[in-house]
Amino acid sequence: MSTRPIIDVPRTSWLSMALFQLTRPQVYCSLFLLSLLVAIPALSGSAFLIHIFVTICVFAALSTAWNIVGGYAGQLSLGHMMFYGIGAYTTSLLVTHFGLTPWIGMWIGAVLAALVGAAVGYPCFRLRGPFFSLSTIAFLEVVRLLSIHFVGLTGGSAGLIVPLKLGWAWMVFPDKVNYVYIAFGLLLLCIGVSLAIRQSRLGYYLTAVREREDAALAAGINNSVVKLKAVIVSAMLTALIGAFHAMYLTFLEPATMFSLGTSIEVAMFSLIGGLGTVAGPLLGTVLVVPLAELARGWLGASASGLHGFVYGVVLVLITLTLPAGLVGTFGPAVSRWIDRLPGGRRRLADRIMPQLRQISGDKGAPLIKADNLVMRFGGLLATDHVSFTLNRGEILGIIGPNGAGKTTLFNQISGFLTPTSGTVALLNQEGAFVHPSSPDEFARLGIGRTFQIVQPFGRLSLIENIMIGAFLRHPHVDDARAVALRVAATVGLLDQKDVEARNLPIGALKRLEVARTLASEPSILLLDEVMAGQNQKDTMGMVALIRAICQTGVTVIAIEHNMQAIMSLSDRIIVIDSGRIIAEGDPQDVVKNRKVIEAYLGEDFVDAQGF
Amino acid sequence: MDILIQLIINGIMLGSMYAIISVGLTLIFGVVRVVNFAHGELLMIGMYAVYLLCTKLGLHPYVAAIPVVGLLFLTGVLIQRFIIQPLLDADEHIQIFATVGLSTALINLALMVFGADLYSVSSPDIRTSLKIGTYNVLVGQVVMFAAAIVLVIGLHAFMHRTALGRAIRATAQNRNAALLMGVRVNQIYVISFGLGAACVGLASALVSPLFPTTPTVGTYFVLTAFVVVVLGGMRSMYGAFWGAMIIGLVDSLSAYYIAPDLKEVVYFAIFILILIFKPTGLFGFGRGTE
Repeated sequence: MSTRPIIDVPRTSWLSMALFQLTRPQVYCSLFLLSLLVAIPALSGSAFLIHIFVTICVFAALSTAWNIVGGYAGQLSLGHMMFYGIGAYTTSLLVTHFGLTPWIGMWIGAVLAALVGAAVGYPCFRLRGPFFSLSTIAFLEVVRLLSIHFVGLTGGSAGLIVPLKLGWAWMVFPDKVNYVYIAFGLLLLCIGVSLAIRQSRLGYYLTAVREREDAALAAGINNSVVKLKAVIVSAMLTALIGAFHAMYLTFLEPATMFSLGTSIEVAMFSLIGGLGTVAGPLLGTVLVVPLAELARGWLGASASGLHGFVYGVVLVLITLTLPAGLVGTFGPAVSRWIDRLPGGRRRLADRIMPQLRQISGDKGAPLIKADNLVMRFGGLLATDHVSFTLNRGEILGIIGPNGAGKTTLFNQISGFLTPTSGTVALLNQEGAFVHPSSPDEFARLGIGRTFQIVQPFGRLSLIENIMIGAFLRHPHVDDARAVALRVAATVGLLDQKDVEARNLPIGALKRLEVARTLASEPSILLLDEVMAGQNQKDTMGMVALIRAICQTGVTVIAIEHNMQAIMSLSDRIIVIDSGRIIAEGDPQDVVKNRKVIEAYLGEDFVDAQGF
Repeated sequence: MDILIQLIINGIMLGSMYAIISVGLTLIFGVVRVVNFAHGELLMIGMYAVYLLCTKLGLHPYVAAIPVVGLLFLTGVLIQRFIIQPLLDADEHIQIFATVGLSTALINLALMVFGADLYSVSSPDIRTSLKIGTYNVLVGQVVMFAAAIVLVIGLHAFMHRTALGRAIRATAQNRNAALLMGVRVNQIYVISFGLGAACVGLASALVSPLFPTTPTVGTYFVLTAFVVVVLGGMRSMYGAFWGAMIIGLVDSLSAYYIAPDLKEVVYFAIFILILIFKPTGLFGFGRGTE
C-alpha cells in the first residue's frame, strides 16, 4: 500500500472542476477503454468484427437502459423487449408507409414506448418482486401476440422488410462500419443518461425506494413517481436502440422483436456485470457476447442451443457465487488500484453547510390538530377517539405501556395509516390547515419522523442515508451532501460517514434515523423511541441534541420509555393506555396521576402504596 | 347451443390439465415462497422422459407415470437442495434470476439433445373418442379430469391429516416459529419442492399422449400455470383447481368466440387485472386458508 495522502481539491471555478474530472484516472481510463469499442472495428475493417462490435454496443446499450429500471429501481422487468419492439416497428412502419426518416421515427417510437412503459409500470409497480416480473412477461406476450394477430399492420409472423434506401438519412449503409458509429453513439447516450441519473437526486431516490419503501416515503419521496421516471427513461432508450437495430437487421418479425429470451439475456448482462452499477451492464455484455458469437461461429448450427445453455448455466452460477456481479464484487479493489495512476488520490474538498435553518413563527400556536382519531384493526381498537393539539415550539412527550397505541398514533399523524375515523389537520406554510393523505405529502409539509424499528438504507453509506433526507429541501447533490455532513457532525456520526449502513451498530443506527429525519429540515419532528439501545452517555447526548433542535424553532413529539429522559425533556406529557388518552399535562403532575400509575404498575400497587 | 356445451366440456378437460400442473407450482410457492420460473421445464423433462420410456421400453404412458413421478421428485429435491436453498436468504431478484437461468439452461439443453423436432407418444387407446350423447371427449381427457380431482383432494388430505402435512403447513405459515417448534425447515422445503415437481411428473405422463413434446413446451404451459396460480390465490390447492377450470373455460371459449390466436391475450389480460385489483386471488383463498 502506498502511503501517499489523499489531496483535497478546492472548488474554485467551473473550468477547474472540469479539468479535475478529466484528469482523474477513473475518468480517462474509462474513456480510453470505451473508445476501443469503436476503434477496433473501424481500424480492422473486418466484417465479422464489425458485426460483433455492433452487437456488443447494441446489447450493452440495451442492458444499460434496462439497468435503470432493473438495477437502480430494483424492478426486475423481464419484458423489456416490448419497448425495443415498439421502437423497431414504429420506425420501420413510418419509413415504409410515410417515407419518414428513422432519425425522426425513432423518437416517435420512443415516445410511444414511454407511454406504454408508464401504462404498464403504474399499475404493476405495486406488485412484489416475482409478480412484477411475471406481469412484465405477460405484457410482453400480449404485445407479441397482438403483433402477430394484426397482420395488416405488422406483416404478422411472416415479418416486415425495411425498405432499402441507402445513406445516412435512412440509416442503411453498404459500408457496415457506419453502423458501428451509430451503435457506439447510442451506447454513449445510454451510459451518459445512466451516469447522470446515478449522480443525481433521482439516482439516490431510486436506491432509497428499492431498499426501503417506508423510509423513502418518510423522507418525502413519492415512490410511484420516482419509479415511473425510471421506467419512462429506460423505455425511451430501449426503443431508440430497437429502432436502430431494426435498420441494421433490415428485417423484423414478432418472435425476435418481442423475444422473452432476449429480454432475459439483457437482464443477465447487467447481473453478471453488477446490478445497479453504471459500468456493470457494459462489462457483462463485453465479456459474454463475444464468447457466444464466437461459439456460434465455430460450432455452427450443429450446436443450436449451446449458447443458450451456457447463458443459463452462467446465470445460475453467478447467482450462487457472485450475486453482486463483477463490478459489485471487484469494483472497489480495481478502483483503488486505478487510483494509483497519475492524477489519482485527489478528491473534491468537502463542503459543510454552516448551520441549521431557523424556523420562525408564533410560539404556542397550534400546528397539528388531531381530532377523534379512531384506528381499528379487525376487532382491535388501537386508538380510541384520541384528540390532541401540538403547539409550536414545545416538546410533547407521549408515554404509555407497551401496546398502548403510541406508534399507531404516530403512524396516523405522519400519513402511514389513514384513521378509520377522525381527522389530522396540519398547518402549512401559508398558515392554513390542510389534510394531507400520503406519507410523502406529510413529509413535504414539514413532518419528519423516525421509526421505532430502524429503517436504514442498508446498501447506502451513512452519509448517503442522510442525503436522502436532505434532498427534500436541497435537490442538488452537492448541497444535499453539504447539509448531510453538517447533520452528521451534529449527531456525532461524522467519523463513520463512509460506512455502509448495514454494517453500523444499533446505537449508531438510532442516531442515523434521527440524522436522516433532521436533514429533511422538518418543522415538526416525530421521534419514536430514539433513546432505546443507547448507552447512558449517548442518551445524555441525545437529550442535549433534542434541546438544541428545539432551540432552532422545531417542534418535537417524542415517544419514549426512558422516563428520566422524557420527564426532563418534555414541556407537556400525554399518557396513552389501551388506545385512550388517560392523562395529559405537566410532567410533574402526570407522574402523580393515579390512573397513570395504575396503567404502568397495576391497581394492586396503587392500593398498596395508598395513593 | 351444442357447440357451447362442447366448448365447455373441452374447457373443463383443459382445466384439469392446468390444475395438475398448477397444484405443484402452488405447493412450491406456498411453502418455499419462491416463484419457480423453471416449473415449465420440469414438465418438459417429464414429457421427454415419458416419450423415451414409451418408445424405447414400450411402456404405456400411464405406466411410465410411476418412474417419471419418481424422477421428477428427485429433480425437484436436487433443485431445492443445490440452487434454491443456498439462495433462501438472498434478495428476491437473485432468486428470480436463479430459476430463470435454470429454465434457460434446461430449454437449451433439450434443444441440444433432442433438437427442435416435435416428439409424440402414440397411444391409440388414450386418444380414443368417447361419445356422450352428441358430445366428444378423449379417454385421456377423462383420465386427466379424474386425476386432477383425486390429486387435489389427496394433497389436501395429506396436508391436513398427516404429521408431515401439518409440518409443511406450519413451515409455510411461519418459517421461524416452525423452526422453534423443532420442524426441520430445510428438509420440509426439500420435500415440498420434490412433491411440487412430482405433481408435474404426473402431469407429464397424462399430457404426453395428447400434446407433442418440444424444448419450449414448458414455457407455453408455465405462463398459463402462473395465471392459474395467481387466480387461485397463490397458496391454496382448491384455489388453484378452480382457477385452472376458469382458465380452461376461458381458453376454450375465447379461442372459438374471439380468435384462436388471441386466447392467450384474453387470459393474460385477466392475469394482469387480477394481480392489480385482487392480489389475494379470485376466491379470497389468499390468506389464512392454507
